[in-house]
Amino acid sequence: MSDKSSSRPSGFDRRAFMAGAAGSVLVPMTARAAAQDASETVAQNPSLPVEVTLRVNGKDKRLSIDARTTVLDALREHLKLTGSKKGCDHGQCGACTVLIDDRRVVSCLTLALAAEGQEITTIEGLATDDRLHPMQQAFIDNDAFQCGYCTPGQIMSAVACVREGHAGNEPDIREYMSGNICRCAAYPNIVAAVKQAAPEIMKG
Amino acid sequence: MTAAAPEPKTNMGQSVPRYDAAAKVTGRATYASDMPLDNPAYAFLVTSAIAKGRIDRFDLDDAGRVRGVIDIVTHENAPKLKESKLFSNGGYAGTTIQPLRSAEIAHDGQIIAVVIAESYEAAREAANRIKVSYTAAAPSASFDSPGTTMAAAKGQNAQFKEDPAVGDFAKAFDAAEVKLTASYDTPTQHHNPMELFTTSCAWMGDNLVIYEGSQYVYGLKNGVAEQLGIDADKVRVVNPYVGGGFGSRGSMTPRTAIIAGIAKRLNRPIKLVPTRDQGFTIATYRAETRHEIKLGASRDGKLVALRHEGAEVSSRPDAYCVGGTKTTTRLYACPNVDSLVSIVRADRNTPGFMRSPPEVPYLFALESALDELAAKLNMDPIELRRINDATNEPIGGKPYTSRSLMACFDEAAKAFGWSQRSSQPKSTSDGNWLIGYGCAATCYPTQMGPSAARVRLQRDGRTRVEIAGHEIGTGAYTVIAQTAAERLGVPLEKVAVFMGDSDLPPAPVAGGSNSTASTCSAVMMVCDQIRQRLFKAVMPSDSLTDKAKETVGISPAPSTRAAKGDRSLDLEKAFDALGVGVVEEYGEWKPEGAPLDSFRAMHNGQVRLVGGHAMKDQIAYAFGAEFVEVRVNRFTHEIRCPRLVGAFAAGRIMNPRTARSQLMGGLIWGMSSALLEATEIDERNARYVNDNLADYLVPVNADVSGVEVIMLSEQDDRINPVGAKGLGELANVGTNAAICNAIYHATGQRIRKLPVRLENIEV
Repeated sequence: MSDKSSSRPSGFDRRAFMAGAAGSVLVPMTARAAAQDASETVAQNPSLPVEVTLRVNGKDKRLSIDARTTVLDALREHLKLTGSKKGCDHGQCGACTVLIDDRRVVSCLTLALAAEGQEITTIEGLATDDRLHPMQQAFIDNDAFQCGYCTPGQIMSAVACVREGHAGNEPDIREYMSGNICRCAAYPNIVAAVKQAAPEIMKG
Repeated sequence: MTAAAPEPKTNMGQSVPRYDAAAKVTGRATYASDMPLDNPAYAFLVTSAIAKGRIDRFDLDDAGRVRGVIDIVTHENAPKLKESKLFSNGGYAGTTIQPLRSAEIAHDGQIIAVVIAESYEAAREAANRIKVSYTAAAPSASFDSPGTTMAAAKGQNAQFKEDPAVGDFAKAFDAAEVKLTASYDTPTQHHNPMELFTTSCAWMGDNLVIYEGSQYVYGLKNGVAEQLGIDADKVRVVNPYVGGGFGSRGSMTPRTAIIAGIAKRLNRPIKLVPTRDQGFTIATYRAETRHEIKLGASRDGKLVALRHEGAEVSSRPDAYCVGGTKTTTRLYACPNVDSLVSIVRADRNTPGFMRSPPEVPYLFALESALDELAAKLNMDPIELRRINDATNEPIGGKPYTSRSLMACFDEAAKAFGWSQRSSQPKSTSDGNWLIGYGCAATCYPTQMGPSAARVRLQRDGRTRVEIAGHEIGTGAYTVIAQTAAERLGVPLEKVAVFMGDSDLPPAPVAGGSNSTASTCSAVMMVCDQIRQRLFKAVMPSDSLTDKAKETVGISPAPSTRAAKGDRSLDLEKAFDALGVGVVEEYGEWKPEGAPLDSFRAMHNGQVRLVGGHAMKDQIAYAFGAEFVEVRVNRFTHEIRCPRLVGAFAAGRIMNPRTARSQLMGGLIWGMSSALLEATEIDERNARYVNDNLADYLVPVNADVSGVEVIMLSEQDDRINPVGAKGLGELANVGTNAAICNAIYHATGQRIRKLPVRLENIEV
């Protein structure tokens, strides 16, 4: 795994944060925390805001947030991108799935600070110039949702599933789409949607 | 056409895509916690670690020192709220256990404190730093726990009116040629809608806006107003999209008024996003049930005696009960019927509706028992049901408005390949897999409630429909838009629908499968008011006006009910004659037999549902038949369900696409209730153990393969103007029995307790 921490614009030091969060020895703190009290640092108090730049749907977004903020909460509570949903906050349901550097990731288990310098794609960034992404269209055509709450996560997961090469047949699609729970149980329609969109996505 | 959009048959609407499809695939659909708030503070709940006893002391020092904490609310300083009665006793609440009123603890996971902070992260940290000292007492967890009490439901639950009975059961059972007595158990289940039980509250002076996923915005609005002691007109509930309901959002939970009260006191919008595990105890659930069925039959399969005794768990203060005997005693022809439902009180949160509340557990018992009787009689289980099919229900002798049960069995059996089934259990296998076929009936009462609607038509045909209905995934926006377009004869794309807002005209709770019948009947009626006004303008003759309602359409003629003599109306001419740019009508519709106070109750957030067995001279139900194939591994006892086939008849199908999806989801729910779902209870601590989405098993994509939905044409003009019976809760009934019946066919083993897990199989 490449270490990108040196390129982090915030200067936030992950090791210092981890050490502080674990309650061990004091570590010199490099974050430009907005604290007035110089003796209080993020290492001691993670609720002190730290600055972070997230690249979301092709745009850089500068944020001042609690160091423990997840990508999901950064998107929803700070960037007003509420398409990604919170269904469990434990990585169990998949409703928060986004792409980070083209990999599908449960954004509720990913700290925003850890995603700095990486390309985050959310459901809001999938359509281009008001044209729906083929997976979005396929979800409509196949009625692959009911209440719609899990849908952004399903679609992000489905796009990645196709690009990973896991959409070649129905059993594969079912298996590789099983990290996304749909309580309305639109599963057969989701499989049909992924099947429909896969060739178009692979064509590029 | 994809499989998702079936070709409509007779008496079915068009399979148009969902009205809200684009919003839902782009992330633009805004659920309650997506609503923007101006500088919100974040709430985090602290819940009780004991199920019974009292709080001695809070130590808030550590928590209070967390940076960003604004307030910590406990019973010692909570805003004073008025009590709310249970919905079944004329109130709005799903529980009368009101947290933060005293130090008393009534169940595990009860809200005992609320932390308010500048950020979600700070609120969570502070909540985790609160230390609580309790004096705990030994709780009673469930049926067999010491300290529970048991009593008949009749007399303690106002909505449970009778234990249906007819003839002389005891005598008939005694004399029956073939007898069966069997007991069945169903587990605790939690709805687990994908959207968490979030609540945001924002005050503007004396006016409160609540963003909360609700299946009943009028109920919530009135309930919260009552608890806060303010005029209901000051409260507005908004939720244009709801991330799944399944009954969990039908009645008010205590959290809403608590958050509203804190927001008022702090003069700041508050956003609460409870955790998934808190959702298991701050809302309702499907309680565990027990059943004993006694069937007596003649050797040729005619039922002569039927008795269904059921017991259900509820909380100490609230007599919640689903009482499914109203259905199971009326499903088949039988001259001697008896029944009894009892409620067992334990130290638990109050249970509530969960998708097909009475039918899922009670038909599991009855439809399993019928299969056992068929085996005893050496008779095909479909034939046993055919012999006992009824045109009139046996208790009061009332005729079914329509009943396509056997037609459903025949269609589904054909599609499934039932004729290939060997009659002997444990006779079919494929390698190490034992194969079994099973079937069961499903039914669900047709219910309607009073509803209002406002419709506005512009001269260019643009139409706006306003109704405080709920989009919980059912396709409500879509079928309401279709209804208005059809009735006004305007293109579907010109219709805009506004729902999920208690400032709009009231609609009933989105529960009991009544929504489509109720809201679409109201919309139809109001569209007809508009048509009459337009016709009166251009043809001011009374007789024409009277005729307009049924026989004359606006250009072009409505696609249904197109009668001879239809005449088109030039919209421009009509608007010119009226001298207006917009025609707007408001109307209130109520079903036949609705009580006198219906409309007043409707505005007060109380539903007067009519239908099912409670109609005056008839009984109305939707029916279906479900067939499953199971495969049980001879060595590992793994259970697979590769095929689910259901045939359903539910009156008019408004949109075969949304209907198929709902029925398909229902079949998968039914499979889940047989093989996966159960909330495990720690008997010593009366605590839910698997309170998360990894341990509470719900189906994932890999659990589901072949699901086939067949919709039969059925016309029923005796139920409501739309002719729709409702199908949201039809398909997940009976599936659990069909699967157990198939497991019997595969293995020869009867399993009478759900869910069936591989450790229950003894091949």
